[in-house]
Amino acid sequence: MDMITIPAVNMTPILPEIFLSVLAMALLLINVFIPSGQKSYLGYISFVGVVAAGVLVGAGWGAPVESFSGSVVQDNFATFFKIIFLLSAGLAILISDQYMEREGCNHGELYPLILFTVVGMMLMAAGTDLMTIFLGLEVMSVALYVLAGFNRANLKSNEAGLKYFLLGSFSTGFLLYGMALTYGATGTTRIAKIAAIVGQMTVPSANIMLVAGMLLMLTGFAFKVAAAPFHMWTPDVYEGAPTPMTAFMSAGPKAAGFAALLRIFLVALPTLQVEWSQLLWVLAVLTMTVGNITALRQDNIKRMLAYSSIAHAGYALVGFAAGNGTGAAGILFYMLSYTFMNIGAFAVIILIGKKGEANGTVMDFAGLGFKQPALAVAMSVFLFSLAGIPPTAGFIGKFYLFSSAVQKGYIWLAVIGVLNSAASVYYYLRVMVYMYMKEPTEDFEWTRITPPIALSLLISVAGTLIPGIVPSVILQFAEQAVKLI
Amino acid sequence: MMADPHLLTILVFFPLAGCLLVLPVWKRPAAARPLALGVMTGELLLALWLYASWQGLAALKPILPGYLLVEDAPWIGAFGIRYTLGLDGISLLMVMLTAFSFCVALAVSWRAIGEKVGLFLALLLAMETGIMGVFLALDLALFYLFWEVMLIPMFFLIGIWGHGRHIYSTVKFFLFTMFGSLLMLLAIIALHLLHAQQSGVATFGLHQLIATRLPAGTQLWLFGAFFLAFAIKFPLFPLHTWLPDAHTDAPTAGSVILAGLLLKTGSYGLLRFGYPLFPQAAQTLTPLFYTLAIAGIIYASLVAFAQEDMKRLIAYSSIGHMGYVAIGIAAWQPVALSGSIIQMANHGVTTGALFAMVGMLDERAHTREIGAFGGLWGKIPLWSFFFLLFSMASVGLPGLNNFVGEFLVLSGTFTKSPLAAGLAFTGIVLTLVYTVRLVQEVVFQTERKPLPLADLDRREICLLALLALLVILMGVHPAPLLDLIHGPVKILVGGAP
Amino acid sequence: METLFFLIITLVAIVSALLVVTCKNPINSALALVMTFFCLATYYVMLDAPFMAAVQVMVYAGAIMVLIVFTIMLLNIRVDATKRHSHKVVLGSIIGFFTLVNTAFIIMRSRVAMPNGPLTGEMIRQQGHTELIGREMFTTFLLPFEITSILLLVAIIGAVILAKKKL
Repeated sequence: MDMITIPAVNMTPILPEIFLSVLAMALLLINVFIPSGQKSYLGYISFVGVVAAGVLVGAGWGAPVESFSGSVVQDNFATFFKIIFLLSAGLAILISDQYMEREGCNHGELYPLILFTVVGMMLMAAGTDLMTIFLGLEVMSVALYVLAGFNRANLKSNEAGLKYFLLGSFSTGFLLYGMALTYGATGTTRIAKIAAIVGQMTVPSANIMLVAGMLLMLTGFAFKVAAAPFHMWTPDVYEGAPTPMTAFMSAGPKAAGFAALLRIFLVALPTLQVEWSQLLWVLAVLTMTVGNITALRQDNIKRMLAYSSIAHAGYALVGFAAGNGTGAAGILFYMLSYTFMNIGAFAVIILIGKKGEANGTVMDFAGLGFKQPALAVAMSVFLFSLAGIPPTAGFIGKFYLFSSAVQKGYIWLAVIGVLNSAASVYYYLRVMVYMYMKEPTEDFEWTRITPPIALSLLISVAGTLIPGIVPSVILQFAEQAVKLI
Repeated sequence: MMADPHLLTILVFFPLAGCLLVLPVWKRPAAARPLALGVMTGELLLALWLYASWQGLAALKPILPGYLLVEDAPWIGAFGIRYTLGLDGISLLMVMLTAFSFCVALAVSWRAIGEKVGLFLALLLAMETGIMGVFLALDLALFYLFWEVMLIPMFFLIGIWGHGRHIYSTVKFFLFTMFGSLLMLLAIIALHLLHAQQSGVATFGLHQLIATRLPAGTQLWLFGAFFLAFAIKFPLFPLHTWLPDAHTDAPTAGSVILAGLLLKTGSYGLLRFGYPLFPQAAQTLTPLFYTLAIAGIIYASLVAFAQEDMKRLIAYSSIGHMGYVAIGIAAWQPVALSGSIIQMANHGVTTGALFAMVGMLDERAHTREIGAFGGLWGKIPLWSFFFLLFSMASVGLPGLNNFVGEFLVLSGTFTKSPLAAGLAFTGIVLTLVYTVRLVQEVVFQTERKPLPLADLDRREICLLALLALLVILMGVHPAPLLDLIHGPVKILVGGAP
Repeated sequence: METLFFLIITLVAIVSALLVVTCKNPINSALALVMTFFCLATYYVMLDAPFMAAVQVMVYAGAIMVLIVFTIMLLNIRVDATKRHSHKVVLGSIIGFFTLVNTAFIIMRSRVAMPNGPLTGEMIRQQGHTELIGREMFTTFLLPFEITSILLLVAIIGAVILAKKKL
């Protein structure tokens, strides 16, 4: 029997992942020696680590490099998404400290878990093998289940963790089954090889096993990106999870889901596009409409943003349904801007909130406009961006996504999207009405704004406004990123 | 200096710069007020200087025919969006109106706005940038940007400083306009893509997009989307319901801007973008346009007659006046169109003045009920005199400004559609009826409630005298303004079959 | 002969799977589940995948079942908790039935399109299943294999955080 020769592996493509994993493990060890109450230091270290990882990721921009015999790749598409993940993680880390301290659950394990989540997401975006993508997704999901239930003293947080775990595992089952069927139909898990084999089929849509595999994978990912009708977990989980983790969950993992979806569907199954784009058409309409209509009636702001995040997944699905270069680049741009505006909004929510998740309704924003003008202006910027009003990144993103739909000829999809967008303005405005046009019901001390959260707000505002006014540079990056796909 | 196109950028962004200057001192009214006044006056002077030199600019013949100044720079390369601003006679008239109306708005709110003054002024300045941008943008994406941006300050203006059901009104106002403009955005995108398909050039430039060949059906859809957005702003019956609410509950300055400028963006958009881009579709929809405009005039006049709140009454009269503007555009004929444009300016001045005056009365009496007043001629003669003057102007008394606009609109429309002109004429009679009622009840009648009213102070007299002067000047000698818009109107109408 | 054997095993698998959900006593359910796992392991053997069969028995029938049984005994489930929820049975059976039909349909229809993998039964008998799997794991699927280590670590941390009395 000959010896197993391990193939030459090039570590550069997964350098950021390795770096973050090692850092996370090191933090777990350091955590033991740091007395409780000073766990913030772990946050600072991990933030620096995230920035360093960002440098490592950024250095990979350019020609694609494959490694591990085609399980993983470092290409611009992955790099763009990795930056989004790192941004969401970095911002989440910045806003965590104050909240966790207040809720009395600033355990050191938080930060390593966030970093592991990022590792999982990165593998999802960079994976070119269904196995890599699946395992990346599992790493991400398992870490997120824990993060959702991180506030152990809070019943709602427990519920969020458990609910997310159960429904998440359920959806993973769908995904895995889909992957297995795809493997059965093509005999490989490598995305490039699947594409080649499916490309040779005369009528791929007649291969029922492949189609079933595709459908099940779509279902699995639809759970992860919270697309209707697979969105039921979202509101409860987003409401119950600790606010910084809700912010993180709504930005990074959603983007990761889209990254994997885009790679699998656009690279491996482009020959089935006629079929899946019709499905996505329906999915997009459902997701946008359900999200927005339900958000209209929410008083709890976290819940409102949860439904709005469903709606935003719907807008991104519009670009996906179009399935062209514009749509894909639009999703990239949108996910990036969504990260800034959504985490920014959650940062403000953290500052408004009080211990025990109190003060979490829209009414609690009453009078903010004149008590904390800077904070209210920041919140207004985020809300306007979420509503898609220029000159913000949210507007450019929607502009991009809807143009892709019109380009593809899906006029009605674009019209429905636009109408949804108009409806969504109402509930975003409502927050603003409370901030500026109502008097506060009770007078209370405002929370002090700590430097990390101030920094995160600053970054978020910049990230929401600058791409809205001069989007050219980021648009170019997004377009280069999808060129290979 | 003479033809420096950067002047347009300055024109647009100078108020925004002022806004950024005012924000840091927003808690100190004493510093914020003079600052805002300085910026707005500067803006007005710049506009007037442009007007003074327009013939010289026209002689230089810039890139686009009919334009006095054009500024063009790439902006978002990926979409082919350019930063294109252009000033022609029509824009110049609107720019002057804008700069002037903002000065009026500032003057009327000098005392009336007591709290959060700095923020109020900052929002006014931000809105001035938005409105200037709308009147100058020649790139559809840029136009859309300004179109949306100008809404945001108005939303806060009504919401924070309004009275009555101001929150309901402001949200309604925002949602109505947002709804229309989003559909327009889609139409803009579709037009852009169709053009790119035909010519291979990705652009949002108005003058490139005009060349797009569109099948009749497509044209109708796209025009429909544009028309909806503009008709909501106009506002045309039956999309007008936001206007009475917004006007009634807005602070006086807000009403002045709403009536003077925001409504004009609708009519301006229609004649600058809607008609030139989709001439056939516009022709097809002309009967509908006439019908809505005339229905609006008659409906608004009838409803105005029944109003008890003076502000609401003037708001409805606004809908009626804008109906004439609509008819003039629908006729799409040089005389009628000139009349419409002149009427836009006239209405801005007259209605702005009326709102300002009601605001002054409200400050003193804390009510706007028609029934609460009476016999004001004896108590506050100066106020009554000006009110009478502006009311007469609003009715279209010859020699005052509105007469010119209405006369041109009706005589121009008569050549195209005698029926529409005839029906619109009945509207004038109705206008007369409710205006006479207003004046009769408020100014003449015997006093109903003993209200301690002081007559106008010096600031108010200056402001109203200036407005009155304009009303008379534009009424007796409109020729310079007509000259200004003559060229652009010919180009616009010549472009349509 | 093989078909007959397959049918018998299948019958056992289905019956024990039904028992899992119908037994009143959780211990019985657990034992029925073990039976189902054994049947699955038999399938793997019939499919020339002895390693998978062994893993199935060791991991599922062995380790996981022991955990489940332990948990049931530790929790000491009382009689009232053993009552089965009977509502939604109809809905569940309908959905289950359609899923079954669907799956059967898929499998029957796509028989033709199944490509053959690079490994044949001959090779497996010659080289050994375990080695082939190991070889794949350390060459083609090296990265996914390594990722599982991270996954396990995360799961452990998670379990500790969520379950430990005092952090």
